[in-house]
Amino acid sequence: MGATISEKILARHAGKASVKAGEVVVAEIDFAMVTDTRAANTIKMIGKLGDKMLPFAKNTALVLDHYSPPPNLEAAEIHSSMRAFSKERGTKLYDIGDGICHQVLPEGGHLTCGDLVVGTDTHSVTYGAFNALGTGIEGTDVSAVMMSSKLWFRVPETVRVELRGELQPGVWAKDITLAMLGRFGAEGLNYHAIEYVGSAVAAMDIDDRMTLCNHAAELGAKAAILEPDEKTFAWLRAHGAKTPLPTYADADAHYAKQVVIDAASLAPQVARKHEVDDIVSVTDIDRQRIQFALIGTCTNGRLDDIRQAAAVLKGRKLAAGVRMIVTPASRQIYLAALREGLIEILTEAGASFESAGCGTCVGITNHLVPGDGDTVISTANRNFKGRLSNKNADIWLGSAATVAASALTGFITDPRTVAGGTWRSAA
Amino acid sequence: MSASNKLIKTGTAFILGDDVNTDINCSNKYLPGKDIAYVAAHAFDALAPTIAADIAAAGGGILVAGDHFGINSSREQAVHVMRAMNIQAIVARSFGRQFFRNAINNGMPLFECDTRSIQAGQMLEIDFSSGVLKIDSQPIQSAVPLPSEILAILSMGGLIPFLQKYPDWNFA
Repeated sequence: MGATISEKILARHAGKASVKAGEVVVAEIDFAMVTDTRAANTIKMIGKLGDKMLPFAKNTALVLDHYSPPPNLEAAEIHSSMRAFSKERGTKLYDIGDGICHQVLPEGGHLTCGDLVVGTDTHSVTYGAFNALGTGIEGTDVSAVMMSSKLWFRVPETVRVELRGELQPGVWAKDITLAMLGRFGAEGLNYHAIEYVGSAVAAMDIDDRMTLCNHAAELGAKAAILEPDEKTFAWLRAHGAKTPLPTYADADAHYAKQVVIDAASLAPQVARKHEVDDIVSVTDIDRQRIQFALIGTCTNGRLDDIRQAAAVLKGRKLAAGVRMIVTPASRQIYLAALREGLIEILTEAGASFESAGCGTCVGITNHLVPGDGDTVISTANRNFKGRLSNKNADIWLGSAATVAASALTGFITDPRTVAGGTWRSAA
Repeated sequence: MSASNKLIKTGTAFILGDDVNTDINCSNKYLPGKDIAYVAAHAFDALAPTIAADIAAAGGGILVAGDHFGINSSREQAVHVMRAMNIQAIVARSFGRQFFRNAINNGMPLFECDTRSIQAGQMLEIDFSSGVLKIDSQPIQSAVPLPSEILAILSMGGLIPFLQKYPDWNFA
């Protein structure tokens, strides 16, 4: 019997001809990442290992993104310890403002097709956009990797999701991932790897493919992975990645489930307040007022997201009473948006820009605290009650186009109904 | 793997429900500055108000839960807290993916099976190598046994002691 992409990558990294779902393997890692939320625990666990060499440190990046910039002394001290650890042990370091881990790893050329990549964050599944198996781990795991370059894995079952047709203008990967959450529920694909295939995936640019894989974390997925194509290879080349090892599923691979979604008929989707899997079509929302609009996070803080917002808001103003924050996913994206004039367009429209990082997704920098009774529409991946430090505020989720259209009107709005809301890259 | 990795745990059943978030209920993520002993004394308070005290009074036990125990981006500190509570093992219908890793890496045995028939206070005996759970001495549940690699890590008390003994993972 044939193998799925995840089975092939795990088998190759475990030095085996084949592996099967449920089996436990010890696999060689290609690259590892530690964020500032788990760095203190990681450094503690490395201390427990004793006086060990860390030969894999050179293939590990420490990323100061969640507490960026640090909101208090405790966070600042964690950052100081990360800088010292990095210098002493020889890891790579991405400092505050450089960007979110899941953006700076691919941008830095640290991964390529066929790789096995681990990071101390559940959204490490994002690397599947580049045909790499990326998955989230904790401090003990990454300590083991830094010491031995290996880690144990239980081989996941794979679910194959075929996206037929092409998304309509104004509909994005975010809308597919929200529809998937509506269908399977939060954690509904716990332990599983997802393979997204089909014409709608082929038509997506890399930014949207990263969203597609990133949001699989909310489904509980261990990985979400795409087959590579010329767009993948060109992007990786442009970012200095090493030679790719393209990995494809066999025609007779075994899947736990096979699902078909008609991408062409999909309308923009939104997650209603508090529940990431309470999903409705934006066309079913009637006069839901908003006070805050956020574009950013590792899910939707990329250049195409900022372009969507600029297309809607160029030469216009935010609706009265609406505040808007844009947080680019990385310094490189910030610079690209600057050079394209997008920052000027959005700033004139009334939006504010934050330095690249995770702070406006999860309320740990307190740079975005909604007031009591406020409704936030956000491109983030989670909307749990209180996630932005106020249990009396509501967070809804949608694509960058939906968020921008909503910021323009003051109500949750179908982007296809406003000028510029169906913008799509000419590439 | 040799029979030396036989792993059996016994204890009284303490019951929790579905979707237990161990970051919220069993870590200091939302209790900044509180140590493991404090968190252990108050763990799961919001879900089962006396469970931490009851487990302490019994000298430990086995946690029994429904789906997705340890859901979301679980911190491994939760397992350190549970070990401080003298929890011997956790039985659930399923575990959050990261929690599953954290438990194995920190020496906490896990057993996946249908838990609906287990009542609070029953005596459980779990043989992780054969995949048999006995409830009040009646062997009525079976699940897939833990793979030998995981039994090896658990029998050493977790991944760090394991790697101190087998730095090249060559334990087979």
